[in-house]
Amino acid sequence: MKKILTVALIILLCASILIGCTETTDNSDPTQTKEKATETKKEATEKPAEPVEEIVITIPHYKSGQNVGGVFFLPQVERFNEMYDGKYELVIEEIPQDSYQTKIQQLAQQGKLPALIEGADKNWFEDIAIPNDMYYDLSTWLDENPELKARTLVDSLGYNTIDGKVVAFPLTVVRPIGLFYNNELFTPSKPIGELSMDELLAEFGDNKFAFMTVENAWTTSLMLTAIFAQQDGGPEILKEGVLNQKSDYTSKPFIDAFTIIQNLLQNYASSNTVGAAYADAANSFMSQSAAIIANGPWMVGDFAAESSDKWSNGFTGEMATGGVYPGNIAIANTFSYNWWIPSGLPEGETEAALAFLAFMNTPEELEAYMLAEGGTAPNLTPSDEYVTALSEKRLLSELSLAVNSDTIIIPMILDIMPGSVANEEFGKLLPKLIDGSVTPEEFATILSDKAVAALAE
Amino acid sequence: MRNRKTKLWIYLFLLPAIIIFLVFFLVPIITIFITSFTKWDGFNSPIFVGFKNFINLFGKAEFLISLKNLLYWSLIAAFLHVGYGAIVAFILYRKPFGWRFTRSVFMIPNVIAVAAWAMIYRFFFNNDFGFLNNLIRIFNPEFNIPWFYNSPYAFWAVTLTWLFYSVFVTLVILTDLMAIPDEIHEAARIDGASALRITFKIDLPMIKNAIGTGIILSITSRIAMFEAIALTTRGGPGDDTMNIPLILVSSITDMKYGVANAASVIMIILGILTLIIVELIFKMRKVEKF
Repeated sequence: MKKILTVALIILLCASILIGCTETTDNSDPTQTKEKATETKKEATEKPAEPVEEIVITIPHYKSGQNVGGVFFLPQVERFNEMYDGKYELVIEEIPQDSYQTKIQQLAQQGKLPALIEGADKNWFEDIAIPNDMYYDLSTWLDENPELKARTLVDSLGYNTIDGKVVAFPLTVVRPIGLFYNNELFTPSKPIGELSMDELLAEFGDNKFAFMTVENAWTTSLMLTAIFAQQDGGPEILKEGVLNQKSDYTSKPFIDAFTIIQNLLQNYASSNTVGAAYADAANSFMSQSAAIIANGPWMVGDFAAESSDKWSNGFTGEMATGGVYPGNIAIANTFSYNWWIPSGLPEGETEAALAFLAFMNTPEELEAYMLAEGGTAPNLTPSDEYVTALSEKRLLSELSLAVNSDTIIIPMILDIMPGSVANEEFGKLLPKLIDGSVTPEEFATILSDKAVAALAE
Repeated sequence: MRNRKTKLWIYLFLLPAIIIFLVFFLVPIITIFITSFTKWDGFNSPIFVGFKNFINLFGKAEFLISLKNLLYWSLIAAFLHVGYGAIVAFILYRKPFGWRFTRSVFMIPNVIAVAAWAMIYRFFFNNDFGFLNNLIRIFNPEFNIPWFYNSPYAFWAVTLTWLFYSVFVTLVILTDLMAIPDEIHEAARIDGASALRITFKIDLPMIKNAIGTGIILSITSRIAMFEAIALTTRGGPGDDTMNIPLILVSSITDMKYGVANAASVIMIILGILTLIIVELIFKMRKVEKF
């Protein structure tokens, strides 16, 4: 009896191991490809109609928690959920911003993409997602909603249309990225956009820039972009590079820009620059340790009274003034992939995702978004309420007025580099540029070598 | 007949472990080996490319730096990390006052996740408000070194995140020390051997397997070290603290699974080589008889 029981237990243990291993979806097979995605899609569309019940979609997103984007995004999701109460519900799963794209790529590999995804790594989207039909074609839906389609930016719609299919929802709002300065620490003789970089530095005195080196060195790379755009041929390289990524950064405009940013980092950077993440850079500005921070209009939320817990050392939101970069330069990229929906979702989930895209781009939501995070919607006729509300928002009005018809609007320098170089290598190499252990020429060569390796077959 | 029955029972009891090994270890390892010879983006079918991934890896400056770093870290692990663990074991073996408390305190760092330690060290080494620099500034107010972001300090800052946490080594050695029969020590003392002589001529030879095991554990941990670097320097500044797991992960991020698996294969080979070399040096297969 004892023996029988022992053997039975061993068999049970072995069987449970085998069953446990075989019941899960096998993702280890390297040959599982497009066919699998198509199969899933087929299965989904063949599913019989289920009784009407609320469709809940859960998506990971970085605009949550402490992320500045969550200030507007989360209430917007709430408004969507209220509007479609009982029909759709969107649930946000918090994820850090710098691991968002990696997470999406991993989920794609597992065939578990969420119903809505914001943005995509250009190389991954073009090399993997598009060739494998991983996206839901929005063209028919946009044609059925002409008012919505009319609100999209022509350039963006063109960029997102591939072989007649719309792979991601085009931009409806463009938000030129400029800078903010502390008007008590630094009073320029004229608007910063009208100054050259040399004039700015001459007036800057002992003030500092809120720079950073960790993550993708965001605030530093914005300033580098503005400097690069002032070099001969710089804007053209940026505009061309965003369509066809560059792997050679050794030409004169790059070397000159790296030399200037090295000077700024060595002599005009806040003391915590080396090793600083975005939160540290923002903290430098909002504690009066730095007089200028390069950042987008979404930062205005941090200067509102509700965010006063982020201020210290006597800083107040009134001290922040918005503007563009020296040389009348602003940064914006309409050639990017925005929100997209994966293919192969159950019909209800696709409908819910489409409903959210439509909701986000209603005139009311777009105006609320622009009032919260800035930007302009060229194809939207603004309501009187919006115009009135905007005039009451000092910082947004300043940013809006700073951008004029002469403003040179260029994409960001990181957008012309492969993802791993832009997000990892650039920031990792900056400390060496700062301590002088690499020259601007060596900096350019090392980055170029990394880019060549990243783009290699 | 009885012997055959016993063997059957042994194999039966081993079966679950064998199945687990086959399913969870052998199959993935074989997959890794096969796909390391392919160009594979993790989504489309792999394409055979021969040794290209390995050649590319060895042609990369960051990979060569990783190997150099691994060599230095392995030497530090074998001599300083294991050495420190062994010294603590010898002290505890003599059961001084409070040895049980000390042993428990020595364990604490190992119950804290490596990721949490990495974050603690980020603050510890922070240039502005870190404990270390503020302490140094009491004596030298001009002191300014961002440890994790300046070379050669970054290498040593990363090393310090693990160097003194050698409780596993201590426990393995302590267990072997405690297994040495008292009679041997007693006989040596009667023959007039000093405490130092007993340690070097009796204890150390008898615990060589434990030391060898400690070195193997320590070096293989260095081969697989990821969080301590990823959460502090991310391999920087430049590539100065780069290691193979970081290359593996960045290859996955770039959707180059063939390259990532080639890096895995190299890690597996390095692990096996460590095992063989340490076993040979310490003659670990030779059983000591008390």
